[in-house]
Amino acid sequence: MTVFIILALVAIITALGMLISRNAVYSALFLVLNFATVAVFYLLLGAPFIAITQVTVYAGAIMVLFLFVIMLLGTDELEDTDNLTWQRPLAIGLAVVLVVEGIYLMLSQNTLGFITTPSEDLGSPQAIGDMLFSKYLLPFEATSILLLVAMVGAIVLTVKNKKGEQS
Amino acid sequence: MFDTTMIMAILPEILMLILGLLVLVFDLIWKKRDGRDLGWLTAGGLLFILIVTAAIARPAESTLVFGGMIRYDMMSYVFKLLFIFGSMMTSFFMMDIEQLGKRGEAYILLLVATIGMSLMASSADLIMLYLAIETTSIPMYVLAGFMRDDEKSTEAGFKYLLFGAMSSTIMLYGFSLIFGFTGTTALTAITDFTLPLAVGIIFLMMVGIAFKISLAPLHFWAPDVYEGAPTPITGYLSTASKAAGFAVLLRLFLGLFPETSPYAPTWTMIMAVLATITMTLGNAVALSQTNIKRMLAYSSIAHAGYALVGVVSLSELGVGSVTFYLIAYVMTNLAAFGVIAAFSRVAGSDEISDYAGMSRRNPTLALVALVAFLSLTGMPPFGGFVAKVFVFAAAVKADMIWLAVIGVLNSIIGVYYYLTVLKVIYLHRMEGENEEAHPIPITRPYAIALTVLSFAILAIGIVFGPWFNIASSVAEGLF
Repeated sequence: MTVFIILALVAIITALGMLISRNAVYSALFLVLNFATVAVFYLLLGAPFIAITQVTVYAGAIMVLFLFVIMLLGTDELEDTDNLTWQRPLAIGLAVVLVVEGIYLMLSQNTLGFITTPSEDLGSPQAIGDMLFSKYLLPFEATSILLLVAMVGAIVLTVKNKKGEQS
Repeated sequence: MFDTTMIMAILPEILMLILGLLVLVFDLIWKKRDGRDLGWLTAGGLLFILIVTAAIARPAESTLVFGGMIRYDMMSYVFKLLFIFGSMMTSFFMMDIEQLGKRGEAYILLLVATIGMSLMASSADLIMLYLAIETTSIPMYVLAGFMRDDEKSTEAGFKYLLFGAMSSTIMLYGFSLIFGFTGTTALTAITDFTLPLAVGIIFLMMVGIAFKISLAPLHFWAPDVYEGAPTPITGYLSTASKAAGFAVLLRLFLGLFPETSPYAPTWTMIMAVLATITMTLGNAVALSQTNIKRMLAYSSIAHAGYALVGVVSLSELGVGSVTFYLIAYVMTNLAAFGVIAAFSRVAGSDEISDYAGMSRRNPTLALVALVAFLSLTGMPPFGGFVAKVFVFAAAVKADMIWLAVIGVLNSIIGVYYYLTVLKVIYLHRMEGENEEAHPIPITRPYAIALTVLSFAILAIGIVFGPWFNIASSVAEGLF
């Protein structure tokens, strides 16, 4: 429980830090820390596979990509060019309403029993492997088509046509 | 473990994937090809798939296959045929468009988008559904921005990507709440849906679907994307993609909150209000458009509102009428965008005023425009009329007469701007009145596709019995 509370505080603070920080590199680093804390949450919930994926894919690969883009573009310091001034107070107000609503809901129900917990071994690598190739076979294959076409799309949009539109 | 039902359930998807890979490989190894070859390959392949699917993949009864991921029933069958047909017509229109028709990538993106739509119409599981939506959306983002040298096309692709990503994230929140509360993602397993956050979930999921079918508060992307995207792609986006959105809407909401559910009045009421706003706003803004693609974008927003009237009535007739409406609308709007593509390819303009004298520059093309626009208006011998009658009849039968009245009033507003275009085409003259000197030649792919679509519009309008039987068989599976 204490582990959870400490981690939750870290997660919330890093998420806020990511949003508030005006330096893009700091933002990215806050996000890495946030991903790492969430990965520990997954471990606590008994889902080691998802925890490892979270670290390797998000904290590892994707964040490195983010940092590369930030460094290549060289926009590590953002100026305050926010011309929608009414938006920020409104967003904060709505967020507070949402939090209050959530707390009220939990207190009025007096329990979180209406949340169904999935079975115990759901998160183990073996269970995930079994599921991917039996129950979730079709979504698995659909993902492969999706990745193929995303690659084709990325190439279409970025690669210069060397043939120079030969038509 | 595998049986024939499973293969039959995803037969069109398998065949389309094979066709897509063939196109991809041919694009690479077939150097000495004529410009249209890949287009003919795609269109011919899709015709073959359409015939094979129609002939042998008709389901006898509704079954769940692939571990409950997809449902193999009349609804998926009818919608898949509709998507394959729409995709075939689009590949006809694409062939002669510069920078688009000669590139194999455009066809494989189109085919994968169609696979995604087919899966959308048959999904019975939230994970499968989300993947299917993404499989449709990602190729469509790329296709909308396909003309990289054209600023408007790039803008269209980027706008579509940003809004699409945002709305699917919000929908995913809804899905995650469902999973969190029930512990399952299978739509069939969630029978007793009484959760504390049900109304919130309805709203979250509606955001994603409303974006797909461009309902009123989330319609603002449509005009910009429709205007900027290559015209055949716009046609596809406004027809098949929208029909897929409606298929998801029917499956999700009739599956999770059926008539007996305590939340049924809530969501039908929300939808009725949305339909009213969508119809009125779409028609009112369409009145002042000068660009024909933007005008048709607003008109297609209005049409989503009409179709939604059928969903709101929450009855077998309602679902049947929506399906019928979508069939008629896909044919009609594809024909309209086909005419625009054929015209702008030669004339190089999408402004309504430049359509002056088109009836003299190409009488046949003008005739197809007449058929398409009158059908969009809802004039009797054409498909659009019967479709509107069924939808409004469903609303009246469900005691929502006010909604039907609003729908009819809106159709009358619609008549004005559709007929304005026809007036420009038939009554106005070009500057200098020498239309014969500026003919608009139609190439063979356009001739084939527009002929098929015109006859289809007439066939739906005149012999509507068989079409309505097909549409009603969709409804039987859902109730």
